[in-house]
Amino acid sequence: MTEKQLSPELFELATERQGDMEKINRPSLTFLQDAWLRLRKNKGAVFGLIMIIVITLMAIFAPIMSDRTYKQQNLSHAKLPPRIPVLEHIDWLPFNGKDMNGINVYEKRGIKEYYWFGTDDLGRDLWTRTWYGARISLYIGVLAATIDLLIGIIYGGISGFYGGRVDNVMQRIIEVLVGIPNLIVVILFILVFEPGIISITMAMVITGWVTMARIVRGQILKLKNMEYVLAARTLGASDARIIGKHLLPNVVGPIIITTMFTIPSAIFTEAFLSFIGLGIRPPEASLGSLVNDGYKSIQTYPHLMMIPAFVISLLILSFNLLADGLRDALDPKMRK
Amino acid sequence: MARYTLQRLIYMIITLFIIATATFFLMKLLPGSPLQNQEKLSPEQQKIILEKYGLNDPVPVQYVRYLGNLVKGDLGVSFQYDNRPVTQLIGDRIGPSAQLGFQALVFGTIVGILLGVIAAVRHNTAVDYGATVLAVLGISIPSFVFGGLLQYYIGVKLKLLPVAFWDGFEYTIMPTLALSVFVIASIARFMRTEMLEVLGSDYILTARAKGISGFGVIFKHGLRNAMIPIITILGPMAVNLMTGTLVIEQIFAVPGLGEQFVRSINLNDYPVIMGTTIFYSALFIFVIFIVDVLYGLIDPRIRLAGGKK
Repeated sequence: MTEKQLSPELFELATERQGDMEKINRPSLTFLQDAWLRLRKNKGAVFGLIMIIVITLMAIFAPIMSDRTYKQQNLSHAKLPPRIPVLEHIDWLPFNGKDMNGINVYEKRGIKEYYWFGTDDLGRDLWTRTWYGARISLYIGVLAATIDLLIGIIYGGISGFYGGRVDNVMQRIIEVLVGIPNLIVVILFILVFEPGIISITMAMVITGWVTMARIVRGQILKLKNMEYVLAARTLGASDARIIGKHLLPNVVGPIIITTMFTIPSAIFTEAFLSFIGLGIRPPEASLGSLVNDGYKSIQTYPHLMMIPAFVISLLILSFNLLADGLRDALDPKMRK
Repeated sequence: MARYTLQRLIYMIITLFIIATATFFLMKLLPGSPLQNQEKLSPEQQKIILEKYGLNDPVPVQYVRYLGNLVKGDLGVSFQYDNRPVTQLIGDRIGPSAQLGFQALVFGTIVGILLGVIAAVRHNTAVDYGATVLAVLGISIPSFVFGGLLQYYIGVKLKLLPVAFWDGFEYTIMPTLALSVFVIASIARFMRTEMLEVLGSDYILTARAKGISGFGVIFKHGLRNAMIPIITILGPMAVNLMTGTLVIEQIFAVPGLGEQFVRSINLNDYPVIMGTTIFYSALFIFVIFIVDVLYGLIDPRIRLAGGKK
């Protein structure tokens, strides 16, 4: 072993004041800022977030800006394939106004107007209907998730915080509810109450809140024995204050994650209901009912199914990607 | 363990009872009547029909009779198919559904495990990212969209497989594929996480140090342990397959239970709706029960946590 020559220039004077070593050079970040930094690094989550924003904006503004309404029929313009200006010149895109046999239906029938996504068998504009449907689907998803959230937090919070007999009874109720297949309840509920936005949402909420309640309870059980809760209690804080100010803010991560997973599954359930004939009734439309209607004429007019199917898949995908990203960002321990 | 199993069993019975009760009273609330063309029937005829189905008795009497029959395994008779017993109807229709579900589960599990293991072994490479993207897509694309696309491109355009109906193994391929997408995706995601964790543990390092081949370590030491928690996602999987068969059977015109259920919904055939609902629920609850007990047997930690309550 060769010995290394030690020379004076290899050494450096230690900092005079040791305190400088501990100095914090970066600004301290709050929990949410920290999570946002982590989320931004996740390409999938950023893609999901952008797509959700785009689809939401389209769902809000596209039906307003179009001069055709979602239920306006024009039988002379029925069953037109999609045609978009500029894009129509690119042959491999399906927006050239040509039908299955390669005939430009617009020229053949002498229609000057452009229907960007084509029209259905009653001549309703699919562009307006698709975005209107996206609006309904989003509305149902968000509404169901919000109600789940409210019931889940209250139920789970009370159950976890008070513990003992209260918790025992509340948990037994949940255990019975969990055993009931979601799907069956939803179908029965909608059979009794006519299909509509509210009845579909309520049907999903009946069993949907249980997941949220369980997660909130688990977190509260874990947190309520923390010392800062004891400190707050010693200072005379009321139960409501401890729950609202100390416990809930610390449960916010899992709550956001669960909500983000609830929305796509609610959108999916609504679409599924349309498919078995229990969905939104025409002329109203949701993405699910559009896919279902389009499916019936898939062999002759594939665009009627493909476009809504693409939008709903993209929407569910985006929510799943964002939810995955949020899970990693908000709770690094749960990182998969 | 016995106590835990008993506890689960009691919950199972309570849940079933609640479902049966809820189903019964919801059906009583339903608009619509089983009598077709009732205006054409004279009041006497209507009365005879109602009496035949026991619909003239007060609701509590009907309820008690219904529960009594249920315990005996009698789900009533169908309105739609000339008094055929619902149990017989379910028996006739369950075959194709069970076959599709089983094929999808087996195929999906095998492909899912392979995909998950490959992703974990090639962690943070293009293969891993590709498998992850596939898995997210598989979870996000609804089965009816996937089924429709398969039918259109493979059945209609390429004419490789029969478009619909039920007449031999080649008719089962597309519905099975459409059903298994979700199974593949969720198992692959799950497997990847579990496998990554197992591959990082010390006994894997020991096995490698002893000179066991890479293949042997992954499949003999890693996979065996990573596979245990898969049991936990079997429950959600069963629900998904059930939902899936309802839609997929519609799309591919498969004469299964799901297709029958949807048809009964549209025809107000109450006994069939009630019977099928209870059958599906019982099946689901039973699967969950088996999963819980199995998991308790395999992983002692769960058993202890459950038994101490």
